[in-house]
Amino acid sequence: MDEFQTGEETAFVVDEVSTIIKESVEGAIGGNAYQHSRVNQWTTNVVEQSLSQLSKLGKPFKYIVTCVIMQKNGAGLQTASSCFWDNTTDGSCTVRWGNKSMYCIVSVFGLAI
Amino acid sequence: MFPTTVEKVTLGSLHFRKRKCCYVKMEGTDTGGNTYLIRPNYHHKFKAAVVKECIHDILREQLSGVQYDPDEVGVLSRSLADCIKDKLKDVGFDRYKLVVQVVIGEQRGEGVKMAARCFWDADTDSYAQDIFMNDSLFCVAAAFGSYFY
Repeated sequence: MDEFQTGEETAFVVDEVSTIIKESVEGAIGGNAYQHSRVNQWTTNVVEQSLSQLSKLGKPFKYIVTCVIMQKNGAGLQTASSCFWDNTTDGSCTVRWGNKSMYCIVSVFGLAI
Repeated sequence: MFPTTVEKVTLGSLHFRKRKCCYVKMEGTDTGGNTYLIRPNYHHKFKAAVVKECIHDILREQLSGVQYDPDEVGVLSRSLADCIKDKLKDVGFDRYKLVVQVVIGEQRGEGVKMAARCFWDADTDSYAQDIFMNDSLFCVAAAFGSYFY
């Protein structure tokens, strides 16, 4: 009979997730300038790469990853989220990344099974 | 132990006993609390169409005629997210964990793209989203529902 591990294995670790997301964003859109024709592909890449890295962690979590890429134009952007979950096991992490021509905001929500 | 009644039946010259057995019916277990359902009933599934309409109504109601104001947009987006979440709780997705994300941006002709991917159980979990735009702002609201086994 397998022992069910509790404690550090089944909590949402913000730092770990944050590192994974930063790497995914750098890898997908690292040195690029905003291009309308490519932004579709970029968002897909960021999100898919993040998700595959998160699933490799092997934790008993369901993940929701959202990514917003916005051209730098002087406009403002605000993101808010409201969640109905179990505070002890579930968590979220938001990473803001930017270069000279665009912003990228990635939010990850982890829901324990 | 089953209570039994024994009847003596005579049929001509044959004597035999007919045994009647009565079974005691066990009390049914209480079906209140946790039923260990691993799949929601069709009626209790996260219905994307219903949720989309809820979101649509709330956005229309709260954002019509609103101008983008950097000082207030924080409070506004937070209250929208809470409002949508509370409305969904009332609709009655009992076994679902809800995540509602609201993005409000200023309209200045910039390009924006939003994408989402989810690692979940496609049978039970789903999402709904809606977009509201006026001259000075745009708002995207997405609600994700994840079944809690």
